[in-house]
Amino acid sequence: MVHFTSEEKAAVASLWAKVNVEAVGGESLARLLIVYPWTQRFFDSFGNLHSESAIMGNPKVKAHGKKVLNSFGNAIKHMDDLKGTFADLSELHCDKLHVDPENFRLLGNMILIVLATHFSKEFTPQMQATWQKLTNAMANALAHKYH
Amino acid sequence: MLSVQERAHIAQVWDLIAGQEALFGAELLRRLFTVYPSTKVYFRHLGDHPDEVQLLNHGQRMLQAVGVAVQYMDNLRAVLSPLADLHAQVLRVDPTNFPLVIQCFQVVLASHLQGEFTVEMQAAWDKFLTGIAVVLTEKYR
Repeated sequence: MVHFTSEEKAAVASLWAKVNVEAVGGESLARLLIVYPWTQRFFDSFGNLHSESAIMGNPKVKAHGKKVLNSFGNAIKHMDDLKGTFADLSELHCDKLHVDPENFRLLGNMILIVLATHFSKEFTPQMQATWQKLTNAMANALAHKYH
Repeated sequence: MLSVQERAHIAQVWDLIAGQEALFGAELLRRLFTVYPSTKVYFRHLGDHPDEVQLLNHGQRMLQAVGVAVQYMDNLRAVLSPLADLHAQVLRVDPTNFPLVIQCFQVVLASHLQGEFTVEMQAAWDKFLTGIAVVLTEKYR
């Protein structure tokens, strides 16, 4: 089980308080779909994903990004039990959505890059390390129920 | 293969780094060692706690090589051949580490360029740096 120190939890919480969930969520998902176009395979029902501007402006992408990041925010409140928190979502992503867990890691990396664009110098190496640990742990938790 | 637009994005971002290879390189290494401590095994010559001067020196060397790659985007295999030999025969950095460097590189660019770090730039640089990693590990076996 991943353990987060109180300093790490405080660092995550302090940055999270300033995050615009809708903006960061939408942009992170859009960047994933653009930088790694093969990830679009899960989003056939999202309509126009034919260009970068189409993806960045796609309302379904924005809505889904927001949904994903809200779930992220919920997990942040339960950092000591990510596997438990994500158990149902893990089963869903395996049994119904059939998503390769590698995609969770890729999306986590995108979130970090978007956070860096928003927070710049405040996103210090230590902050980056803490958030990378968090997104890695979340990716593992989401993959935990795969069978 | 890099498109015309991708080449333009790569060159545009490089313009911001050119002349400051040491600073960007040092930050890249600082982030790499902080976020992915296991990567330090490949930099033992820098010691357990590399100081600023060491990071600047080694960082400069790495970013200067990236600069050469930018200059010769069409011919990476030829121009990076000596570095590919070095990585295959001497350094033997496990290929799984290159995505970690690339991720840190993107975070460096993102934190410096902020809102100007467009998704097109990110995509171009991800593709470009991945291409470099492929060349550097191609002679491993």
